[in-house]
Amino acid sequence: MSTISTADFYKGIFVVFKNEPHQVVEFQHVNPGKGSAFVRTRLKALKTGKVQEFTYKAGDSVEELPVETHEMQYLYPEGDAFVFMDNFNYEQASVPKMLLGNFVKYLKINDTYQVLLHEGEAVGIRIPKKIRLKVVEADEGARGNTVSGGTKTVVVETGAKVTVPLFIKEGEMIAVDPETGSYVERA
Amino acid sequence: MNTWHTLKDNPGLWRRYFLRERVIRQIRLFFETRGFHEVETPILIGHPAAESYLDVFETTLLDRNRKPTKMYLSTSPEVALKKCMVAGIGNCFALTKSFRNTEVGDSLHNPEFTILEWYQVEATYTTIMEECEQLILHLLKTTLSERNRTDHHQQGLALNPQTLSYQDKHIDFSRPWKRLSVKTAFSNFAHIDFEEFLDLKKARAIAKSRGYVVAGSTTWEEIYNQIFLNEVEPHINMAKPVFLYDFPKAVGALAKTKKDDPRFVERFELYIAGLELADCYTELTDWKEQKMRFDDQLKEIKRLGKTPYVYDHDFISALKAGLPDCAGIAVGIDRLLMLLLNSTDIKDTMLFPAEECM
Repeated sequence: MSTISTADFYKGIFVVFKNEPHQVVEFQHVNPGKGSAFVRTRLKALKTGKVQEFTYKAGDSVEELPVETHEMQYLYPEGDAFVFMDNFNYEQASVPKMLLGNFVKYLKINDTYQVLLHEGEAVGIRIPKKIRLKVVEADEGARGNTVSGGTKTVVVETGAKVTVPLFIKEGEMIAVDPETGSYVERA
Repeated sequence: MNTWHTLKDNPGLWRRYFLRERVIRQIRLFFETRGFHEVETPILIGHPAAESYLDVFETTLLDRNRKPTKMYLSTSPEVALKKCMVAGIGNCFALTKSFRNTEVGDSLHNPEFTILEWYQVEATYTTIMEECEQLILHLLKTTLSERNRTDHHQQGLALNPQTLSYQDKHIDFSRPWKRLSVKTAFSNFAHIDFEEFLDLKKARAIAKSRGYVVAGSTTWEEIYNQIFLNEVEPHINMAKPVFLYDFPKAVGALAKTKKDDPRFVERFELYIAGLELADCYTELTDWKEQKMRFDDQLKEIKRLGKTPYVYDHDFISALKAGLPDCAGIAVGIDRLLMLLLNSTDIKDTMLFPAEECM
């Protein structure tokens, strides 16, 4: 285990918080009015999936949790988890649903993901910046939603709903940012 | 995609930026009808106020022979406005750009931002609380277009100019707004006896017992703010705007000490829906005290390794000449727009956020 500072934080880093393994799912620098600098984080407990906020003093030292990255193929859901397999050594890993958050909506069977392991246990997957998904349901809807100006909602192959420009048609591939769930481009 | 591009594809979004236009216009109107003078304060300055919690932008002025002089971008119009108060301008305000270095990469800051400051003669922070209520109610009434209102309405809000929905919260702006002292807030939400907490040794022990990292160099201000951010701020009432008032002296900045309890200063911060929108003091008029605080701040700037400078001694001279009793406030206009636009990212309020100007 190595000691880092809040300056080394990035989204998705694994740390020890109150003696338990956590993942930093969000962090933001905050300066209270006329005060020194702090880092506000949202920490997800790996054992329970519970998310809580904690604000560190900027520069506080924190224990980083070492994780390994393995390329694995997503096979099938099983209860409250997803089963992945390493295609080189056929080892399997089960990633609890609660650790994937919104990404669950975009998981595609047979696709390869980077699974993160800590001491042999799956603690999450590296969320890609964008993912390619096929549009399976799209209305022609020429008028669209006038409030947001020229958009409509379509359904992609994993069942998730995505807001896209009016020109997107059924059967097309689109790129989606899984972080925000928003449409990026035609893919 | 840069904002101009998004707008070209999606003209409906212009309403966000036209709201800024109306807010700026209505702020000017509000103060004009109350007889305030508007001051154009300098942005390029040679001597900032000494504020250790800020990092300044440094630049170089060249004379005709290219002989360099260090200059800085102003972090707030405060000092310039106070000099005008000394000179006898009376009630005044500035609505200007200010610059704070390192404040980049998060949803509540932009290194270049719009700030409103106003100062009122013979007023205290309680007078300013009332004016603040009036100003924001005026803006709610006059600036939200039908479309803006409809957007809010769609999130389940009645079309009442004294209410607004922000994210999943409904805020009731009818007067009076909530007033909550720092001492009460710490006692109610963090269950901390502030009398005890004011003592550095005891504060360190309290922080340690709650699992915070307390190093030898940890200051009282850091302990105070860390507990505030973790255990107090998240519980501040969201249903009404809240004036959090009477701050401990260690976070007193340029505020006047309270007469009946010198451990506190007359300062308030305005919170609406969890956003910190404004910071107000009954102004410190004692030049000796001001000079002492500046000297301390400068030491702190050096200790923290921030951009050093020679602070504004002309301001100390102005205070010597006599600042009238007054109170003043700084309001973050971009954050106020976030609230009015129901946005969680300050960039949504700007046509040219810093990231797009780099």
